[in-house]
Amino acid sequence: MENFTNETIDTSQLPKFEEVQFTALHPNYWKVTLINCFVFILFLCFGVLLGLIFIDELFGFQSQLIITTIVLIGLILLFSRIAFRKKRFAFRNHDVLFRHGIIATNIIVIPYNRIQHVALHEGLVSRYFGLAKIEIFTAGGSSSDIEIPGIEKEQAENIKQLLMGKIQKQL
Amino acid sequence: MSTDFSQPQRQSVVGILVMFFYTLQQYARALWPIIVIWIFKFDEVNKTYLLLGTILTLVVIGVVSYLRYLNFTFFLDTENEEFIITEGVFNKTKTAIQLNKIQQVNINQSFVQRLIGVYELDVDTAGTNKKEGAIKAISHELALELKSRLLENEVKKSISETDESQFEKSIEKQTEEEYPFIKISFLSLLKIGITSNYGRSISLLLVFFITVSDYIKKITGRDVFHDENIENYVDKNFVIQTFLILILLLLATVLVINLVRIVFKYYDFNITRQKGSLLLSFGLLNTKSTIIKPEKVQIMTVTSNYFQKKMNILELKIRQATSGEKEERKSAIEIPGCSESESDAILKLLFREIPKKGVMLKPNFRKLGFSLFLSIGLPLSGFTAFGYWIMPVLFGYSYLLPIYIILVGLVQFFKFKNNRLFIDDHFIIRQSGAWDISNEIVEPTKIQAITISQLFWHKNLNIGSITLHTAGGEISFQLGNFTTIKYYVNLWLYEIETSNSNWM
Repeated sequence: MENFTNETIDTSQLPKFEEVQFTALHPNYWKVTLINCFVFILFLCFGVLLGLIFIDELFGFQSQLIITTIVLIGLILLFSRIAFRKKRFAFRNHDVLFRHGIIATNIIVIPYNRIQHVALHEGLVSRYFGLAKIEIFTAGGSSSDIEIPGIEKEQAENIKQLLMGKIQKQL
Repeated sequence: MSTDFSQPQRQSVVGILVMFFYTLQQYARALWPIIVIWIFKFDEVNKTYLLLGTILTLVVIGVVSYLRYLNFTFFLDTENEEFIITEGVFNKTKTAIQLNKIQQVNINQSFVQRLIGVYELDVDTAGTNKKEGAIKAISHELALELKSRLLENEVKKSISETDESQFEKSIEKQTEEEYPFIKISFLSLLKIGITSNYGRSISLLLVFFITVSDYIKKITGRDVFHDENIENYVDKNFVIQTFLILILLLLATVLVINLVRIVFKYYDFNITRQKGSLLLSFGLLNTKSTIIKPEKVQIMTVTSNYFQKKMNILELKIRQATSGEKEERKSAIEIPGCSESESDAILKLLFREIPKKGVMLKPNFRKLGFSLFLSIGLPLSGFTAFGYWIMPVLFGYSYLLPIYIILVGLVQFFKFKNNRLFIDDHFIIRQSGAWDISNEIVEPTKIQAITISQLFWHKNLNIGSITLHTAGGEISFQLGNFTTIKYYVNLWLYEIETSNSNWM
């Protein structure tokens, strides 16, 4: 009985999610993104080239078409870079936070006791760089699931173990 | 329990008839083009062949349905706690459903089944999108017994969880065995019928109208709407009169369609209490029944509009926990037309208390601006651009523009005015809608995840959006005071993470 205390909680002193220090993705993940972009750009250029060669109507618009393509490529690279920079994650004692978004900053918070299961995913390119993606699923449907890419394989494995441990404890 | 479900057993013998009708329906659906051709060429076809063919088909269907009946068995495996259904003539299927995974057991009755006097029993789990197991023909007593056996397990499970709940349960069992709780009268259904779903009925009617006029055009080769002959020999006054009459007729049809639909769907709506959960049964031709368990309720929506408020009726919509996205729409259970006191009673049963509206959050005026831009600005500029470069004919209709702008503007304004988020200690209520104003009620403990979102140019304005994800869908609120939102997010996270509350 002596150990029992029941003090009033000051709700303004609760831990604030907005003050959490987020961790950036592994720098190598930018290379993965670049390679993926590169493949897409290759297809784009190939398509434009085919169009220029085989569609006669486009003949007069060569320069415009090429400029548009270059601008498009620039935009793709720019947005990928912003998206990469803004993707950050944090694991707190009781929940996981993931920040993402290009124009808007979205932060999604999942408490550990609401996680249904955790999966580890390795893409072809990511595997080459020794990176993995952690997928966290809840019962709230696909909109409330988190995918954190660009984490070192070993660290991802550890995080998965940690999450599994947390889920087990909740049950 | 008088019936032993542990031995494999077949459906009611009359089930053959039900199987027969269902197989017939299936065949008819598959073969309808041929049937249509036969009907049209009735005179040309050899009558004896036709008769023979029909009889042969019927016999084949009969045999198939008999075999189906023979091969359909179900039983309760008490050892492994599973409900097992075996079916199929050539392709055998064995479905095993773990008893503790069962979410819902529904007893339905379609028109055919009502004629024969049997019921259908559906077993639903959270796992997949479709119903896992269905017994097509079963007597009512047997269905009820099987249902209670299937759901018994759940009660046992929750009892063993805590002693406290056992105590509560036993009290509940004594006091409320099963008694009618709310009965929605025919009058309330009529009221709902004339006051709801204008949009849906009008669009349905429009589709119907367009199809019919298209059809007439094809047949007569004349366009109904642009027939200049009419204008030539009928004077203008008369045209306006007929037009008004037509519109009145249209409105009347909408009302009648609505009424008929509502009455057919919800006739004889009964709500009974059973072991702390709600049992709904309704329908004129197809009787449906569903169970709502308070702990599975995720989002509850209370909707009413101006007329309905005057007549003291509300519509309730209940979303239970689901796993598949597709299932979400289907699993919303509607209770049409209860009075305020009845709705309060239901809310009390499901939430233990009547949800209170706490702190109010208003959206920033920029939300109105943005939705006006989306609904008026974009279409208008699209219209202008399209008319300017591609189809100048379009500008002939520009007299419609002010009507559109006023109408849509009003709708958006009321949507903005009614958009509110109320936060209480135990409830989060989102109010929305222009004409039909709905209140979505969520308990903070049912939250699965929270998304907070802010556009970078809203940082200094201190406004932002929040989405609460639950297992029955999500509710979101845009452009509210960001400090307040963040404060409540931290509070909810604290509440979720410190208690091991059951969300399902």
